[in-house]
Amino acid sequence: MSDPVLSARGLAKAFRSGDRRIEVLRGVDLALAEGETVSIRGESGCGKSTLLNLLAGLDAPDAGTLAWGGSPDTGARRRATYLGIVFQSFYLIPELDALQNVLLAARILRGPGAAELARARELLDRVGLAARAAHLPAQLSGGERQRVALARALMNAPRLILADEPTGNLDEQTGGAIIDLLLGLSAETRTTLVLVTHNAAHAAKCARQLVLQAGRLG
Amino acid sequence: MPWYLYLALKQLFPTGRRFPFFTAISTLSVALGVMLLIVVLGVMGGFGHQIRRMIVDTEGEIQIKARGLVGDYRAVVQRVERVPGVAGATPYAAGILMVQYQNKPAFPQMRGLDLPSVDRVVPLGKFVTAGSLDALDDDSVILSEGLAESLGIPVGGTLEIYTPLMLARKDVEVILPHSVRVVGVLRIGHQQLDSSTVYCTLRLAQDLYGLVRDVHGLNVRVQPGADEDAVVARINALLPPEVRAFSWRDSFADFLWVLQLEKNMMTFVLLFVVLVAAFLTMSLLLVLVLKKTREIGLLGALGASRRQIALCFCLQGVGIGVVGTAAGLGLGFTVLHFRNDLVRALTHLTGGQELLARFYQFSELPAHLASRDVVFIVVAALLLSTLAGIIPAVMAARLKPVEALRSE
Repeated sequence: MSDPVLSARGLAKAFRSGDRRIEVLRGVDLALAEGETVSIRGESGCGKSTLLNLLAGLDAPDAGTLAWGGSPDTGARRRATYLGIVFQSFYLIPELDALQNVLLAARILRGPGAAELARARELLDRVGLAARAAHLPAQLSGGERQRVALARALMNAPRLILADEPTGNLDEQTGGAIIDLLLGLSAETRTTLVLVTHNAAHAAKCARQLVLQAGRLG
Repeated sequence: MPWYLYLALKQLFPTGRRFPFFTAISTLSVALGVMLLIVVLGVMGGFGHQIRRMIVDTEGEIQIKARGLVGDYRAVVQRVERVPGVAGATPYAAGILMVQYQNKPAFPQMRGLDLPSVDRVVPLGKFVTAGSLDALDDDSVILSEGLAESLGIPVGGTLEIYTPLMLARKDVEVILPHSVRVVGVLRIGHQQLDSSTVYCTLRLAQDLYGLVRDVHGLNVRVQPGADEDAVVARINALLPPEVRAFSWRDSFADFLWVLQLEKNMMTFVLLFVVLVAAFLTMSLLLVLVLKKTREIGLLGALGASRRQIALCFCLQGVGIGVVGTAAGLGLGFTVLHFRNDLVRALTHLTGGQELLARFYQFSELPAHLASRDVVFIVVAALLLSTLAGIIPAVMAARLKPVEALRSE
């Protein structure tokens, strides 16, 4: 069996609220295989986003270790080369059109050439927005914005996509379409997917379903 | 193009949207500061330049003076004209006269010119507005425009001249004036010279002042591109100790020092306008960082380093500086170009054009901007704008992506 794309062992994270110490994660173990789709569900405030931030390297755990499948990069560069992140609030740059938003991921990694431009166009086509490439985020619907965010997450051909409640700001029908698209793209590109969601139906579409409860995954 | 420069430009000048208010305000503030500096330094420099032109056009770059009178001036002229870098030398006699035309008196300055050599040093001919310099002889004079106007004397009229020498004579009961014809009028453009000067031949001036063959001094013109100070040193090496050469800068050192001081003070004060513009840019960039906190978090999540995020905001300060400075230069040079129209319009409204000319000595507002002044303004504006971008840039770079993404 090949090395896991990402493995976490004994991840722990606590926050301070006044004098109180709130332990959000109490030893999370997780190993993600290549091409695997995993959903993580849990109540609001149970630490799903915190876990995702730790997996993305955006935050440091209080205890535990993370291993990114032999990636030679570290820190910010690893996020650019290894990870694609999809957020609930899309976070598109309002001054850039859809195409440039997708291309931004490649710009940060390296100067965008003709190959990157062609890939950005292809990804926009794949998410059904080829005709909207020149539109600014303000001219797109919520579902369209999230599709642009999906294309951006895939731009640098990451090994792992971390999606933090990507349908949270969308209606049921649009949300369902986004999840299907996300799973389809993940399967097509054999990209590992971690989907954090409240929605049981969406979670059920993933190969492995996990629940975060009392700071542990089960 | 690096992504942080691309994004900085896109945030300053977004595609398909109007010029953003933030960009417009901060750019305009820098532009106004630069424009003020250009206009004020241009006009201050213009005063200095105009004064130089006036001095050099009427007296040459170098003046030679003695403790008393300069004797055997022809030999001095010959020796000076052999000095490398000297284009020509001409003797002069100067003093105060009392003149009268139809019982109207005036007390002008007299300037006695050596006609054979004056053209090599002082291009007075180009300032003649009526009559001709060629018509000048030992029985005639040329008047400055203001003097001719105040006396009401036309070209061809006869002017009566009295000198201090005549007035000092005690052996005559009636002082008879020296009568001369007016053969021309000239206008140099400097109020003081144009208001009250009589130009005559050197011989007439020597007669009027009893100089016999002596002169008061020599004016020297240097060749274009020659180092004036080096030429002065070479001339002084040739002359006896009681006769000395001075460059126009030496002769007007105190005045030029005051002028430079005024210019420096104005620059210092007006730099605060650019500084205020830089503070405005900084505060607007700080607001932008707060507004874009979640986007900064996203950039971190996409793999941007802190240095790159800092550069993205710092470059916005630079961009505002570049565009503001360019606009300020354009505005400043436009105002300088139309300065006299603006002054005329302003004085027409306030009714003080004559007062302006009398007070500032010039009939037109001069302007001269040295390239080093322009370079100083551009560097100062760009430096201050860049510094204005640094604090917001550091603030943006210090944001942790996870906290930035979580911010409301």
